[in-house]
Amino acid sequence: MIDLTPEARTRFEQYLSRMRSALRGTRAVEPAEIEQNVREHVELALAEASGPVSTERLDAVLAQLGPPERWLPEDELPWWRRIAQRVSTGPEDWRLAYLAFGMFALGLLSLPVGVGLVFLVCAFLLGRAECELLSTRGESLGARRWLVLPSIWLVFLTAAGVALILPVAGLSGLGLSDGRIHFLQGIPHTRPETIERTRVETGYIALVAGVWWLFFSAIFAAIVKPVRAFFLPVTEHLGRKHALILALIGVMVGSIGAVLLFVI
Amino acid sequence: MADEFYVNWTTQVRKGVLELAILNTLSAGPLYGYDIVRRLGDVDSLVITEGTIYPILSRLRNEEYVESYIEESSSGPPRKYYRLTPRGREELRRMNQHWQQLHESLGVLRKEKKR
Repeated sequence: MIDLTPEARTRFEQYLSRMRSALRGTRAVEPAEIEQNVREHVELALAEASGPVSTERLDAVLAQLGPPERWLPEDELPWWRRIAQRVSTGPEDWRLAYLAFGMFALGLLSLPVGVGLVFLVCAFLLGRAECELLSTRGESLGARRWLVLPSIWLVFLTAAGVALILPVAGLSGLGLSDGRIHFLQGIPHTRPETIERTRVETGYIALVAGVWWLFFSAIFAAIVKPVRAFFLPVTEHLGRKHALILALIGVMVGSIGAVLLFVI
Repeated sequence: MADEFYVNWTTQVRKGVLELAILNTLSAGPLYGYDIVRRLGDVDSLVITEGTIYPILSRLRNEEYVESYIEESSSGPPRKYYRLTPRGREELRRMNQHWQQLHESLGVLRKEKKR
């Protein structure tokens, strides 16, 4: 057993601890065997030393061994360490992509406790930053789209859902009560109750949805450019024609609602 | 810039041939870890950092290209020796053959350039 000064012994133990961390989770090698070899290496390298070995002499040997974090090639590292390494040392365009995906996963996992929304918004912003970075370089997302697009799609679909469905749900909830419309009390119930209830409720919801979508399509047509820019690249092909399609759907659904309420 | 390219390239080449160098070092007979590191260190510009040898030895043993055994030493604690297995010897033969072919192919390309 080599005689080390207390400081040198602490330094050596710290080095071995770093080494264990660096080798943790790898299947290709056996950390215990490597540690035994490293201990033997240090003992043999300092075998000629007389008296307790100082930190300086130990450091010289450890410097020759090199940082344990660099001993293994990347393909031998466990997947989570490969990702951590890419995030900490990889090029910026990959780091942003991994961070965006990490935030997205964290957001989904912590959604039940509420804070997930914050992570999802962060994931969206990181994803957008990645897209802008690549856009200024004239590069495409390539394989990074699998890391970046989920958060952008999720936020875009949520925003679209909120804009298209939430007002309809709110107005329907406010206007309907027990199968009747508060402000259209004059519509008579002439058929069995369940059929009447379905007719009135469906008709009212369809009418509200149709009117809202028609109204929203006008707003959307006016702000389509900033909306497209905000959610790029998933909204790359979004244009005024989509506002027109929404208006037509609104007219159709609203007409169905009106027919259900006032004609049938 | 050119220096950086050269350094990266030589590092990749050295990483790629380290297994071959270790197996060739063991082809003469059993050696313990520190001895392997010393011998490779004596070959100019081969070892990147000494510590990289030990994970490679561990992997070669896991893949049964080498085997290890403990032997008492007259000058210190028992040492862990490594030696080639028959499988490792066969693999080394194939690797050396491939290396030779690669060397010859590059030689042909260099001769063509001189013409």
